[in-house]
Amino acid sequence: MKPSHLKIASIAALVLMIVLLPHLISDYWIYVITIAFFYTIMAASWNLLGGYTGQFSLAHHTFAMLGAYGSSLLMVKAGFPFFLSIPTVILLTILVSAVLGILCLRVQGLYLALITWAFAEVARNYIRLDYMFTGGDRGMNTPLLFGTLKPLPYYFLFLIIAVFCIALIALVMKSRVGFYLRSIRDDPIAAQSMGVNIVRYKIIAFMLSSGMASMAGAFYGHSIGLISPIMGDFNEMAMIIIFVVIGGMRTQTGPIVGALSVRYLMELLREYAEIRIVILSAIVILVMRFYSGGLMQLWEQLRRWFERDADGPVSAYESSDQ
Amino acid sequence: MGALYCLMSMGINFIYGIMKVINWSMGEFFMIGAFIQYILLTSFLGSRLWFVGIVLSAIAVLILGALVQKILIKPMFVGIIEAKMEYATIVTISLSIFLRNLAVVIGGPYIYTPKDYAEPTQIFTLPLSGNRLVAFIGALVLLAGFYYFIKKTWTGKAFQGVAQNRTGIQTAGVNVLKYDMLAFGIGTAMAGAAGALLAPVFLVYPQCGMMPTVRGFEIIVIAGLGSIPGTLVAGLALGLVESLGSAFISPSFVDIYGFILLVVILLFKPYGLFGKTERTV
Repeated sequence: MKPSHLKIASIAALVLMIVLLPHLISDYWIYVITIAFFYTIMAASWNLLGGYTGQFSLAHHTFAMLGAYGSSLLMVKAGFPFFLSIPTVILLTILVSAVLGILCLRVQGLYLALITWAFAEVARNYIRLDYMFTGGDRGMNTPLLFGTLKPLPYYFLFLIIAVFCIALIALVMKSRVGFYLRSIRDDPIAAQSMGVNIVRYKIIAFMLSSGMASMAGAFYGHSIGLISPIMGDFNEMAMIIIFVVIGGMRTQTGPIVGALSVRYLMELLREYAEIRIVILSAIVILVMRFYSGGLMQLWEQLRRWFERDADGPVSAYESSDQ
Repeated sequence: MGALYCLMSMGINFIYGIMKVINWSMGEFFMIGAFIQYILLTSFLGSRLWFVGIVLSAIAVLILGALVQKILIKPMFVGIIEAKMEYATIVTISLSIFLRNLAVVIGGPYIYTPKDYAEPTQIFTLPLSGNRLVAFIGALVLLAGFYYFIKKTWTGKAFQGVAQNRTGIQTAGVNVLKYDMLAFGIGTAMAGAAGALLAPVFLVYPQCGMMPTVRGFEIIVIAGLGSIPGTLVAGLALGLVESLGSAFISPSFVDIYGFILLVVILLFKPYGLFGKTERTV
């Protein structure tokens, strides 16, 4: 079989597997995978900003929380329907991120990280303390998108959103803008002298990634039925970073692989609540210290090793032919 | 309260000044300081000797911070790591998550309350919690000591040199790597001392370093990265805005006033009140 056929066949098999999978496993595991899809979106959109552009937003989870709360509040308090409240809240979050971006991306360095971190804590405390409006620590009941808590429709919903977001990111990274973003990370001064308006593109990347987070958050809120300020806890942000770093920063598939595999691992280690995070953050430190490519680098090395091992120089000849 | 936030942000700013690295796990060193203080007071010293406890916990955090620097941050300067800022940010954030959840694993998610350091007192007609007064005076003493150390001692002058020009000071025979380690230790020790001082006010629990760190970062952004006098002014301004806001508007949204102050200042002065404009091409 030629490589292109092999590729098409494997993609078809993957699609078939993803579509058939929820019919083979229990509702609980469908739910787990749905949540993993949510984190995949979060990790992939954070990778766009933190990985490719090199700008650290530490309020990614906050934008998801704002999306969830904003959409639900619009529906409950202002009587918006779903198809209006979700776009409205996404636009609002993009506006908030534009203001934050204009404030702190004009300046080089770590200002974005500092300010988004403060913003995250302030937003979380606001939602906790204004309990008359948001329900505070008790959380808030959200209207369900499909009127049911059965996880199957949400599985496909999040699958579609995840595919949409990842395709969008891939498109952006292939386009001219994607190269601008990478150039900003690699050498902002060189990028600027080549005529890239670095401030504008940093703000655009920040808006895009926060908008995706807010979209994911809004749908997440409407699919689990109860949201609470826990969504804004800093551990959530840490999880996103953990997914991206373990999966492999600055790769398209890294965040996906990272989110799915680490979520699976966390589900297996469910009984060891905090110890999981202790171990995972230790792994992140080790990965950053010794093996900055993460799982994708491991995969790449394994693949090369096997190819060399399987049929020696012939495969090398073939691969150079492609 | 302003003076205490100053202690926190002074630590962050000091580390940034020397190594151009922001230590995101500052709040966890604050928490460790508070925990060590609590353990010392309940099982070794007794609550009367709290001032000894503060010194001991600051020293313990200093040693811990220096070790962390040696193991995690130092490789940045020896030349293995490719993207330095990225590395430092992610590593210290993971360290903060690591330490915080480790504290939950070891101590449980409980809130510990140490005994009061001092009785409630009155200054003229103003009733004042003794703990806050002690914390305020303690912070002032520490800040004054730090100022003396930086301005007058030989080591302090060497630190100034490292902050100004890393390569230049090496030619003058200063071992920069050693000073990095010491600076990281001193910076974290300031957070640890703040934690120990504030233990009876903010109580001791795994997340207790969060809000002081947020304030510390806000102060740094308001002041401008790397500006020591700016830190003092911004710390006092933040404390003032927060108390005025809670007196006149509503005490439950204390955190928001500081953030609004920060946004307003950044609108007009993107580099902070005292920040130096970076030279661009």
